[in-house]
Amino acid sequence: MLEAVNIQKSFSSEGADVPVLKGVSIRLEEADYVAIVGRSGSGKTTLLNVLSTLVKPDSGALNYRGSDLTSAAEKQLNTIRKSDFSVIFQFHHLLPYLSVLENTLLPFMGSLAPVSRQLEQRALKCLDRVGLADKARRLPGNLSGGEQQRVAIARALVKSSKILFADEPTGSLDKKTGEQIMQLLAELHGDGLAIVMVTHEPAYADLAQRTIELEDGVIAH
Amino acid sequence: MNIVTIPLKNMRRKPTKTLLLLLVFLLGVVSIVALYQVSLVVGHSLEKKLTAFGANIVVKPSTETLSVSYGGFHMGDMLLDVKELQEAETTTAIRSIELNDRISVVAPKLVNMFKIDEVAIAVVGVRWEEELGIKSYWATDGAFPQQPEQILLGALAARKLGLGTGDTLTLQGHHFNISGVLFETGSDDDSVILMDLSKLQQLAGQPEAVSFFEVAALCAGCPIEDIVSQIQTNLPKTSVIALQNVVNQRMSSVRFVQKLALSISLVILVTASAMVGISMLSAVNERKKDIGILRSLGYGQSRIFLIFCLEAGIIGLLAGSIGYLAGYAISLKALEYLSLTDVARPVFSIAQLVVCTLIFPLITILSALYPAWKGSSIEPSQALVSL
Repeated sequence: MLEAVNIQKSFSSEGADVPVLKGVSIRLEEADYVAIVGRSGSGKTTLLNVLSTLVKPDSGALNYRGSDLTSAAEKQLNTIRKSDFSVIFQFHHLLPYLSVLENTLLPFMGSLAPVSRQLEQRALKCLDRVGLADKARRLPGNLSGGEQQRVAIARALVKSSKILFADEPTGSLDKKTGEQIMQLLAELHGDGLAIVMVTHEPAYADLAQRTIELEDGVIAH
Repeated sequence: MNIVTIPLKNMRRKPTKTLLLLLVFLLGVVSIVALYQVSLVVGHSLEKKLTAFGANIVVKPSTETLSVSYGGFHMGDMLLDVKELQEAETTTAIRSIELNDRISVVAPKLVNMFKIDEVAIAVVGVRWEEELGIKSYWATDGAFPQQPEQILLGALAARKLGLGTGDTLTLQGHHFNISGVLFETGSDDDSVILMDLSKLQQLAGQPEAVSFFEVAALCAGCPIEDIVSQIQTNLPKTSVIALQNVVNQRMSSVRFVQKLALSISLVILVTASAMVGISMLSAVNERKKDIGILRSLGYGQSRIFLIFCLEAGIIGLLAGSIGYLAGYAISLKALEYLSLTDVARPVFSIAQLVVCTLIFPLITILSALYPAWKGSSIEPSQALVSL
């Protein structure tokens, strides 16, 4: 479904190019569950951002269902980000001034046409699934870190995403809440959602079907 | 829930900042509207006052001039087929033009030559109320005539006839009391005798006859040519002439007031717009995280651009509509303070309100174009750095 071939990416630091990814190749199948692990600075988050099209690689190919995303127009990338891909970050994944329901429906609020009643109902069902239906009208500031992560997951559900990219989704949560989030991800994977997750926790990485370990910008094993 | 929800809710999140920005732009709009309304009334008042310093249109009978020479002698120019104007009919025709609200004074005059003690002198019949309306600069050593049997002498005419205030002058067997002698004006008025128009028409045996009309028109709202053309249409057999030098002098004063108001308005507008632009620019920097989240959800550059423009547009919309109403109210108070409400009142116009609610959002959007472009140019990868 999604294939990255020989991805290279460098960032400038103090006038010099620092290579972060040095020829990474990875293949993701339908309903796959991949954990990316590695030490800090090994390039995990950069790889996740490249795979989710948020960062453009310097070289290499990124193919999604037959389309090369490295040469795709911005419009096509936006369409994929809006419908097929979902990203949840460790922090700051919700707009603080929109309610939980509005944050869940954010991908559909990009035009002057109002969001339909059907979509609103669907969003409420998705919030119900992540246990937040009763907090739909609240602002994110009134939710715990775990609840905020669950809103981001509900957003991915409303979109009927094909792949969920999660960058250390439990990084800012306590152990119990972290486990609840991992349980939720496992359930979604059971429903057919492909997941690519960056994590530091070996126990959470073990929940994935495959683990990729990055070391200094290359896949160690 | 649509894209407008995003800027609206963001503005509600920071009410103090939003209110301050709104207040800055609102003050700009209020000042501009109030200045505009006051300048219109002041201009109108100024023009009305200036009409007291002379007419700017002359209506006279159409004439044909024939230059007569015979046997080497030039006998001067002769006027052919001169027909006097009819007072009531002509006055009605002038006052009934489409732009009749721009006609301030219509002053008829009949000119006749008489010999008094072997001295040839011109006698001009006038309607005193109208005449004094366009000649406020006249001053006399006595009083202006109140009755038909009273007359006013020009300074040179008084010297020529050896008469002064309080003396009696006999004309065609009728005795007239000289109510006053005009101080020298430097104009033709110095050499004539001025009297009531009806009395002169009676003396000359020309009831209703008028030699020409002087008209004072207010030209602030329309070109003088339009007024002249409309009078000409109503009076095709006359010659209607605009005294362009008078018009231009008068309008330059009125336009000065309007230009001054416009210049101040422009300065205010530029300052208020700059404030909106600067505020939006800082908002872009503050909201990199929001931009990152939106970009990761498939919001393209145009959508981000639209969100910032909508935010600026909402400020402009509120400031435009509230500002017009407040500006109008303030202009009323300002005119009351300037004691100008008796001259004219600012006009409350729904059309102007609509224009304000359309124009000012456009201006705020224009001010926010650069910040909006900057915000939309942020790549997801750049925005993600702040996440």
